Amino acid sequence: MKKIEAIIKPFKLDDVKEALNEIGIQGMTISEVKGYGRQKGHKEIYRGAEYVVDFIPKIKIEIVVASEQADLVVEKICDAANTGKIGDGKIFIFPVEEAIRVRTGEKGTDAI
Amino acid sequence: MNEQYMQILTTLKQDREDLMASFDKFPVIDFMRRHSRILDTYFQQRFEESMVGPRLGLNKNPYAIVALGGYGREEQCVHSDVDILFLFKKHVPDEAASLIQEIIYPLWDIGLEVGYATRTLHECVNMARKDYEILTPILDARFICGMSLLFSQLMTAAREKILDKHSKKIVDWLVKSNTERHRRFGDSTYLLEPNLKEGQGGLRDYHTMLWIGRIKLNMRQARDLEYFGFLSHDEYLAVREALSFIWGVRNQLHLETGRKVDQLYFETQIKLASSMKFKSTNGLQPVEKFLGTLHSKMDFMKQQHLMFLNEHGFVKKSRYTLKHKNNRKIENIEIFDDTLKFTTSEAIIRSPELLIKIFEESARHKLPLSVEAKRMVNEFSYLVNDRFRSSDSVVKSFEFVLKEPAPTFNVLREMLNTGFLVKLIPEMRGIANRIQYDEYHLYPVDKHLLRTVQAVKKFGSDLDESGCMLCAKIWKRLKNRKLLLWAALLHDIGKGVPQKDHAKAGAKITRNILSRFGYDPEEIDTIAFLVQEHLLLVKIATRRDIHDEETAIHCARVIKKVSRLQMLYLLTIVDCISTGPNAWNEWTATLLRDLFLKISNILKKGELATQRAVKTSAHKKEVVLASATSKAEAAELEKLFHSMSPRYLLYMPDDEILKDIELFRKLGDRSFAWDIARDEKTNSRTVRICAQDQPGLFSKIAGTFTLNNLDILNAQIFTWRNNLALDIFHVKPPPDQIFEKERWASTEKDFQAALAGDMDLPNALAKKMSGYQSIRPKASKLQHRIVVDNHSSSFFTIVEVFTYDFPGLLFTVTDALFRSGLDIWVAKISTKVDQVVDVFYVRDFDGQKIDSEDQAVALKAAIEARLPEIV
Repeated sequence: MKKIEAIIKPFKLDDVKEALNEIGIQGMTISEVKGYGRQKGHKEIYRGAEYVVDFIPKIKIEIVVASEQADLVVEKICDAANTGKIGDGKIFIFPVEEAIRVRTGEKGTDAI
Repeated sequence: MNEQYMQILTTLKQDREDLMASFDKFPVIDFMRRHSRILDTYFQQRFEESMVGPRLGLNKNPYAIVALGGYGREEQCVHSDVDILFLFKKHVPDEAASLIQEIIYPLWDIGLEVGYATRTLHECVNMARKDYEILTPILDARFICGMSLLFSQLMTAAREKILDKHSKKIVDWLVKSNTERHRRFGDSTYLLEPNLKEGQGGLRDYHTMLWIGRIKLNMRQARDLEYFGFLSHDEYLAVREALSFIWGVRNQLHLETGRKVDQLYFETQIKLASSMKFKSTNGLQPVEKFLGTLHSKMDFMKQQHLMFLNEHGFVKKSRYTLKHKNNRKIENIEIFDDTLKFTTSEAIIRSPELLIKIFEESARHKLPLSVEAKRMVNEFSYLVNDRFRSSDSVVKSFEFVLKEPAPTFNVLREMLNTGFLVKLIPEMRGIANRIQYDEYHLYPVDKHLLRTVQAVKKFGSDLDESGCMLCAKIWKRLKNRKLLLWAALLHDIGKGVPQKDHAKAGAKITRNILSRFGYDPEEIDTIAFLVQEHLLLVKIATRRDIHDEETAIHCARVIKKVSRLQMLYLLTIVDCISTGPNAWNEWTATLLRDLFLKISNILKKGELATQRAVKTSAHKKEVVLASATSKAEAAELEKLFHSMSPRYLLYMPDDEILKDIELFRKLGDRSFAWDIARDEKTNSRTVRICAQDQPGLFSKIAGTFTLNNLDILNAQIFTWRNNLALDIFHVKPPPDQIFEKERWASTEKDFQAALAGDMDLPNALAKKMSGYQSIRPKASKLQHRIVVDNHSSSFFTIVEVFTYDFPGLLFTVTDALFRSGLDIWVAKISTKVDQVVDVFYVRDFDGQKIDSEDQAVALKAAIEARLPEIV
């Protein structure tokens, strides 16, 4: 199993969700996060005062899938979240040792 | 266990089951009483048949079985605890344990939640005196069986030794622990998952009223609240009705979940709505109607409870005492005991405007209306008609209430609770207690609107919930605050219209309301606009790319004015804050603020978002579309419009747009396509170039021209959003016009080579330039000037170069920009005689502005270094 963690632009969430639904991904965890990478923060001036956005709002998606599905999921996320501009985000893939469904105690891919 | 015991238990079980099965057949109050009676019977029979009882020496140490709490009040809900006290006269005998085993254990076995205590009279009184948690159930105590004298002694002792001596202390404790409880369980009149018992507006509020009545006035039954004059007859009936509903819900909830539960969880609500026979009407789901009714009943209980405490002096008086002394006097309204009262009811009939004046005074003095005054407002609100509504002084009074900063004292809520607000603005009826069944909207629509107004008034105060200094700043400078407050009050009024876009419907209703109040058209326009667009910013901020200039331009064009944007921004924030914790957080705040600042910048600049800009662009699209000869072509053009930047559409004349489209079609897979037009009048050439954009494209074109002795007079470049560059150069024709064609052909070849990277343009140019002399300004001794402007645009760094014309200037400057890692998105190059002003909108190759000070300085230096010295 793999855990796929993707950081994307907020307005791309619906597109990504839809793309993943299409390939049968039912569940995911999303969180509103802030940070920066190559797309650094920026300043805005309002009536002489500076307003700095250090950390840019992004959405983090976490999904755990069977290993053989991981490539497809990554591909779908890449396609859906791409605007061609800076700040489109990053995807990280981690190995997952085990998954357990709390209610039933099912393990492995049955639990995801 | 002997047979007789078994029989008693079986009877209890059967009776309870029968009763539960016929839950629907009785009014709920009846049902609870019957339930209590069934339990009473069990205890009475067991008492008589007890085997342990006789061994206790009843004569020497008599005991009584006493019902406490809800069971004591005969309000026994399906799965609520059954609280029992075994009261002994002198001491608790050792056999008490077997007595409990005999009477209580079987109840546990059949699944009843029974709580019991075995105490002596003395212990009871002592413990209750020290711990009021023990005292309150005793306030509800009811004798079931055993030695009745003992029970009377307990009640007498409690009265004489505790209640009479410490009544104030106990009541204070009750009020305090009530406040604490409300804090813990929340206000049930708002919550998505209200707690029927412990929340504000829950059953505990009613118990508290009852207890205080018992402590202070020795009341015996609930009806005494009316007999002792705490409630009017009608109010008592309404309280009864509200309680019945809440009890009904609670019992139904117990029945359906099969256990004791007082919190109305999400998953139970839909089922409950259907078993309580709510039907869907008027676009409302049954569950929304159910929750709406429940909230309104609990709200009523909450109000009664607050009024009860207020009216009867059980809470501390407001700290505004005496503040009103120096203020003006309003005829027929007086301040008495820190509340506002009408002097007589006739006065209201003579002058109905008193109905709103009293609220105005309430807002002015921060004093509440007396209970009697509220009753009178409610009773006389039939006097509110269209003439009343359109009276200037009524509108003024209402505006006063609306505007008066009163972060902790909500006069509007009082207006709503007395029913006056709905009379004044009848359109509000459709949203009163209207629930939206989801996890996002925490409050019924009417309460949400009032909270939104409150949140507006809190801007810049200590209670400001926005967490945003910018908001306070905008609020402080806002000119016509009234408009924002009206919009806050009305923004969701369209939710009363089933299945329609509520913002749009709301704008229409808003217009009606405000014209009835006699507002002038301009103010109405603004308020209706705010209502109609109140979701715009939050939708755009979360669903569009706010780092794309087009997004901000789109918003700016909808909003049109800076003042509207400011109000809309504030409205968006208070709307989020008042919706619930899921709608407002730091993350959303950052997105919204960023969008606001970007739109604000565009509106202040003006050029791209003016009415005229919108019209011009639209007109050009029409003209261009009209040229289409087929549907497919029109569709293709529509698609192309999406690629054209707002700037391009605004500044490019329509015939030239058509030319560019022509070029775009010609381009195909080639790296560039161009068109050269002669202008005989000025003897110049216009070169339009359409090319796949690449870093340094502009400098390559400029360099190629210079290399071929084509002097650039001015130039404009635009970038389409599909990564296509559209560049227009006005150049002087080549010096040798006989071979012009050949010159263009060689230019084209050079350009192709430069684009493909086959030619070292800088080197070739440097060689060529070495023959030129340094420049000599004709008129003055001004220096070169380079300005790096990061303020004017949120999306581009604007570089302005003021200098003197010299051959190769444009190449030199644009090459310097390219080498500094910048992309040119828009450029305007103009030359007047020998004075040059070049403006470039640039971003780095990642699409970001150059907004650090160091970068700006380095950029200036890089350009400066390439400009020839002025001698």
